[in-house]
Amino acid sequence: MKALQSILLPVAASLVAIAIGAILVAALGYNPVSVYGSLISGAFGSLGNLGNTLTASLPLIIIGLGIALSFQSGLFNIGADGQYWIGATAAVWVGYHFTSLPGWLHMLLCLAAGMVAGALWAGVIPGLTKAFVGAHEVITTMMMSYIAILFARYLIEGGPMQEKGYIPQSPLIASNTQFPYFTQGFARSQLSPISMLIAALAVLVAWFLLYKTTLGFSLRSVGLNPRAAKYAGIRVKLYIIIALALSGLFAGLAGAVQMLGVDHQLLDGFSSNYGYTAIVVALLARNNPLAVVISGLFFGALTTGGQNMQIVSNVPASLTNVLTGLIIFFVGCERIIPQVIGWYRRRRSARAQTPAS
Amino acid sequence: MKKGIWQSGLAIVAAAALVAGCGTNNSSSGSSNTSNSGNTGNTTSTSGKTIKVGLVTDTGGLNDNSFNHLAYVGMQEAQKQLPNIQTSVVQSQSESDYVPNLSHFAQNGYNLVIAVGYLMADAVQQVAKEYPKTHFLIIDDSITGIPNVASAIFQSQQAGYLAGVVAGMVQKDHLLKNINNHNTVGVIGGQEIPPVDSYIAGFQQGFHSVDPTGKVLVEYTNSFNDEAAGSQYAQNEISQGADIIFPVAGGAGIGSIKAAQSAKVYAIGVDTDQSYLAPGTVITSAIKRVDTSVFDTIKAVQDGTFKSGVNNFDLSNNGIGIAPLISGLPKSVTDAVNQAKQEILSGKIQVSATVQK
Repeated sequence: MKALQSILLPVAASLVAIAIGAILVAALGYNPVSVYGSLISGAFGSLGNLGNTLTASLPLIIIGLGIALSFQSGLFNIGADGQYWIGATAAVWVGYHFTSLPGWLHMLLCLAAGMVAGALWAGVIPGLTKAFVGAHEVITTMMMSYIAILFARYLIEGGPMQEKGYIPQSPLIASNTQFPYFTQGFARSQLSPISMLIAALAVLVAWFLLYKTTLGFSLRSVGLNPRAAKYAGIRVKLYIIIALALSGLFAGLAGAVQMLGVDHQLLDGFSSNYGYTAIVVALLARNNPLAVVISGLFFGALTTGGQNMQIVSNVPASLTNVLTGLIIFFVGCERIIPQVIGWYRRRRSARAQTPAS
Repeated sequence: MKKGIWQSGLAIVAAAALVAGCGTNNSSSGSSNTSNSGNTGNTTSTSGKTIKVGLVTDTGGLNDNSFNHLAYVGMQEAQKQLPNIQTSVVQSQSESDYVPNLSHFAQNGYNLVIAVGYLMADAVQQVAKEYPKTHFLIIDDSITGIPNVASAIFQSQQAGYLAGVVAGMVQKDHLLKNINNHNTVGVIGGQEIPPVDSYIAGFQQGFHSVDPTGKVLVEYTNSFNDEAAGSQYAQNEISQGADIIFPVAGGAGIGSIKAAQSAKVYAIGVDTDQSYLAPGTVITSAIKRVDTSVFDTIKAVQDGTFKSGVNNFDLSNNGIGIAPLISGLPKSVTDAVNQAKQEILSGKIQVSATVQK
């Protein structure tokens, strides 16, 4: 019953959101069937679109794993966006230096740089201050996130990483570090088999680490009850630092994969918001690494389909945001539904009891 | 998550407010479609087939009061005035969307894909090579050597010059009330990049041609969207005696104009006629006709006269200009502006694009 409920509830929540969205769309004079049709066909309609959907979901999945891990350890790492960008920046920097290295080694170095940068960004200041002086990680990770993004922006807006010329962007990473794309099937999308492989590995590693190792057991114990964990002899401070660093490591890896697989350089804007969407991804997946894959794909499909919705149905972008926002809202708030049902039942039973008493 | 939901919330409010607007928008596009089909019989186009035009905004979005907005206006004009034009817009949510959005239009058989802004330069080069049969137009960046890419470059120093002439005359002869005796005007740039500096250089030269002893303060906000910074820089220049403020800083400049309004001094708008922002404060605006460049390129694609490489837009083809002057100025100002126009067109005045420090 419980397993069934945990699948049915998100589905029901999505359906409610879709129904409300349809009413809104119809009220504005668009045909809801064609609007939702363009959303679905944009996300899954062709191999190219499916490739775009997968491409958009990979960073969400990888960051989502890190966030799920920190949530399971009882830590609210909400600065994943900054850890993502600092990882991306480090990967790009390594990517256009050391060009004499062979391609595979250079790729590994970029990925390692991204992971280390992300891990340090989350582990050192937020981790140490949380462990030793109790500074709340919501504040510190958030502030560090702003610093990371503004720092990356400085680097390409007149800073040392700006490409020659006036455009605020970094040089392209060496061509042999750029992940190859599919030559058939998913060709015409920016999906790379290497990115998919890395994401799949990340999922397995996160799942194995959380459920099959003593490290994961300790992390989850700290998350469930830090005092009990301490009483049981677990070094809570150490695991707080490890949890935040691991969380940042995944975000940094996502940044590196995105740079090597899709962007190939730092561009001005920094508006992807992957780090924030990934929080919803992790919440929707109930912090289960395997479920993160499904919820990541769901949000990737919303992004890609939303763009297609604008193009095909001529729906303004703001309405696209409303529709995706509604779905996020209802899916994120799916726990409201059982509460409403419970409230309704209590009211009915209260009424039934009133004449008796 | 915070940011995402915040954005969705905003979008819901915006959509609610836009209900009326969307309705009219929709009906007007509907009517223009019908008028288009009515014109099909007497079309003068050589091919007579439908031209599909796709517009990809950068992350600034359509409501940026600047080039994204103007490009959209130009495309709408083309749809109204030219036969058989079919248009579609997509707003990029993040930098990673540029390539998928550009390729999406190219894949779906669009004849012309318009990329707004130099941030998309690399994406356009990449996609244009993959789809050699599609025409591309990029605004504000010079891509050369790809046969299917045209770049629109604006000689905005000429617009700056004309605005400078107006400012010089107002300043020297105290043509508006509250003009002080400091003989000083202030310029606020967004960033030290050619599209900004060309305006400033022209403004300096035009101002000094009328008022050689006057002082032009130049400062840079290093941001195109921080209204508060724009306001602060303007207040600083006003306190140094400037009583005409010329911001060339996108959204940040809106803050500067508002600061000028509340300090009861004057401002000069940029890119588009900005007098609506502060009537009675904005003397004129230095205008870059992005809309004209988009319209002309759509027409060229339809007529089969598409020209790849750099397309210059300047006074001679109405690609730049200045907005109507504030009421209450004597005819001598209009005469001086017209004379300056003639002298630029005849080559008697060469306007430099380099800022004098």
